[in-house]
Amino acid sequence: MSYFRITLMRSGIGLPKRTQGVLKALGLRHRMKTVFYPVTPEVAGQIMKVKELISVREVEKPLTKEELREERKPDPGYYIETAMPRRQA
Amino acid sequence: MFGAFRPTNALSGGLLWKIPWRLSKFQKARQRKRLRAVDNVVAVVDRALAKQGITTKAVERWKEEMPIEQEMLPKDKYTIFDRKEKKYRKGIHKLPKWTRVSQRINPPGY
Repeated sequence: MSYFRITLMRSGIGLPKRTQGVLKALGLRHRMKTVFYPVTPEVAGQIMKVKELISVREVEKPLTKEELREERKPDPGYYIETAMPRRQA
Repeated sequence: MFGAFRPTNALSGGLLWKIPWRLSKFQKARQRKRLRAVDNVVAVVDRALAKQGITTKAVERWKEEMPIEQEMLPKDKYTIFDRKEKKYRKGIHKLPKWTRVSQRINPPGY
C-alpha cells in the first residue's frame, strides 16, 4: 500500500471556487501543509485538479504529525560523543 | 523639466501601467521551472497509478493532449493566442493568475 505525500506549495487565493474546494477537501488549508492519501484514482483526480499548486511524492507509509515536525527541525550543530553519568557533588 | 510639477507620463496622461510587453529572461526561467514542476506532479501520479495497474481519465487525457516542457515551442511557453493582438500573440504574463494556471496549447496555425 503506497501513499501520495502532497504538499501545498502555492496558495489557492483568488483561484476559482472549484479549485479552492479541492484544496479544502484534501485538507490543504495553508501553504507547506503536508497530507497523506492512499494511491487511488479518486485522489489522483483531485491531485490533477490542483497540480499547479502542489508537489507530490509517492511514499510507503504516511508520517505522523510528530515525524513531520522532526523532519523540519534544523541540525542542532553539535552531537554528544559519549553520554556520561552526572557527577555527584 | 525639473521640479514638483514636471510633465511626466503619469501626470499628464493619468493612468499609466508599466507592464513590459515581454518577459525577462528570469521570468522565462521561472516559467520553465513551473512547467517542469507540473510535469513532475503528473509523472509521479502516473507512475504511482501504473504500479497498481490503474489508469485515470484526468491523467490519461493530460498525457495525450498536453506537451511536456521540453516538447513545447518557445512561442507557446512565453506567449498566448489573442485574436485582438497584432500578429495574434501576447505575452503569457497578461493571462490572469498566469503563474498558477496551465496554459500550454494554442489554436493550430497561430
